[in-house]
Amino acid sequence: MVARRALVVAALLVALLASIGASLALGAIDIPFSQVVDVMTGGGEEGPAKQILLQLRLPRTVDAILVGAALGVAGAMLQGALANPLASPDVIGVTAGAGFGAVLILLAFPGSIALLPVGALAFGLLAATIVFVVAWIGPDGGGVGRLILAGIAIAALFAAGTTGLMTAYPDRVQSAVFFLAGGLVSDGWEEMRAIWPYFAVGFAIAVCLIRPLDRLALGDDVAASLGTRPRLIRLTAGASAALLAAASAAIAGLLGFLGLVVPHVVRMAGGTASHGFVVPVSALGGAALLVAGDTLARTAKPPLELPVGPFMVVIGVPMFLWLLRKAV
Amino acid sequence: MARPVLDESAPPLEVSGLEVEISGTAILHGADLRIDRGELVAVVGPNGAGKSTLARSAAGLQKHAAGEVRWMGQDVRRLRGRALARIRAFVPQRPRVPAGVTVRDAVRIGRSAHIGPLQRATHSDRDAVERAMERAGVTRFAERMLTTLSGGELQRVQIAVGLAQEAPVLMADEPTSHLDLGATVSVARLLRRLANDGLAVFLVVHDLALAAAVADKVVVMSRGRSVAAGPPADVLVRERLADVWDVDAELDTGSLGQTALRVAWLGDENDRRGTAG
Repeated sequence: MVARRALVVAALLVALLASIGASLALGAIDIPFSQVVDVMTGGGEEGPAKQILLQLRLPRTVDAILVGAALGVAGAMLQGALANPLASPDVIGVTAGAGFGAVLILLAFPGSIALLPVGALAFGLLAATIVFVVAWIGPDGGGVGRLILAGIAIAALFAAGTTGLMTAYPDRVQSAVFFLAGGLVSDGWEEMRAIWPYFAVGFAIAVCLIRPLDRLALGDDVAASLGTRPRLIRLTAGASAALLAAASAAIAGLLGFLGLVVPHVVRMAGGTASHGFVVPVSALGGAALLVAGDTLARTAKPPLELPVGPFMVVIGVPMFLWLLRKAV
Repeated sequence: MARPVLDESAPPLEVSGLEVEISGTAILHGADLRIDRGELVAVVGPNGAGKSTLARSAAGLQKHAAGEVRWMGQDVRRLRGRALARIRAFVPQRPRVPAGVTVRDAVRIGRSAHIGPLQRATHSDRDAVERAMERAGVTRFAERMLTTLSGGELQRVQIAVGLAQEAPVLMADEPTSHLDLGATVSVARLLRRLANDGLAVFLVVHDLALAAAVADKVVVMSRGRSVAAGPPADVLVRERLADVWDVDAELDTGSLGQTALRVAWLGDENDRRGTAG
């Protein structure tokens, strides 16, 4: 059991390091790996290669690592808190909200494109907040069923808003496609400088929830009898997932699929649903998958950059189906 | 806030005049109960009499409107979370059976009330987990997934989760309600053994014959009130069964502790058919 988990962690670490290496070395211009190592360790000769590495590829790789890890953890939080294998950031409305926020800026205010990450983040969090408020009031407030139903309803509302905007500005829809498909861009550290605190808080909450989520796995009554407050745990897990998923959408568009699949893959591969394993390893797996997917998307048809969303699905789905076949 | 003081000499659990409302409907209106160390108390009563509500409310899982619940002399409302978890373990009626969790993982979760949020499990915590599995007889399949267990095995695991809390009181809400005869006997023996070892066991149960066999004391619930309490043979008498359950039945006790409930299943109708034939 322990050996199997160690093997999964080791394999993912190797995959992450390999894809980071590839992400830095490969692209429109291939840079020799020795030179990548030189530059990353603080050396390397000045020149265009060093500039490309430090100003384009390194920030993009860091973005991919953070977003991948954040979506993996967001999925693990929600699947654990809602005791539902279908839970992902889509379920609490974050994805639909962030999509609406981004499309609103892109289509209605194309002059303020710099506000895109803020719009995605703000509307992602707004949608999640509405979902939680609706789920919290009334009988059975804070219950799983209520939360999921509220999430689906609010997501539908924001999705309709997005469709409405696209109908209103049909000539500008092109600019929104990349965001909706999900993709990273090489534009330095600018976005991350504004968004990183949201990632930091989201990850910090997630770490604190590892043990409470294990207790929740045995049901609300057992968790409550052990001194955990199930509704509070669900609320904070939802808040953590909302922060991580909205921040991710701000950086990389809509990549909800990652949050759904990665925790499942981790559970199946590790043979355990213990959150002490699932949460950190989902971060690792999400990061590895997104860095690998982004590298493939950039290098498959240079100099064209394809959005990573569909690419990641192409890598992720066969892996997922293979594991699903064995998982009974 | 000052740490609530527990009185070791007080009865582990004392409930008096308990009233509970759920969504505006009064479910309990006057329930009393007392349980001592080494005592197995069975709460019996018809469906909807308030047995589970009494258990949940006493356990601190459901707020009460009036009356008192005292754990080791301390008001349950002053005991929160982990403090309460070290006094009583609660085995719910229908626990979730999550995928990907082994028996040992589950029992470890039961130990979590003793481990601070930033602490790691110590040697003594790990020993407590092993001891709990040993007492409940689940060590043999400690590495199996919960999803692969039979109903009886699963119920013993749930009791082991409670035992890992090392609380002086174990509460179980209908632990045998969907078990076959063999599994029921094994759970009943386990609970009796735990009481003999000094635990106070609070058992909500449907089966009157079972209650009579294992309990030191039964508390009869009827329409939200506790209407009788005492040794099974004194309490589960024909008149009370007729009163509370509206049946013609009688408890039969053998010299070796066997119990049976003799029920006139078809009542008068049977007599009529008999005379007509």
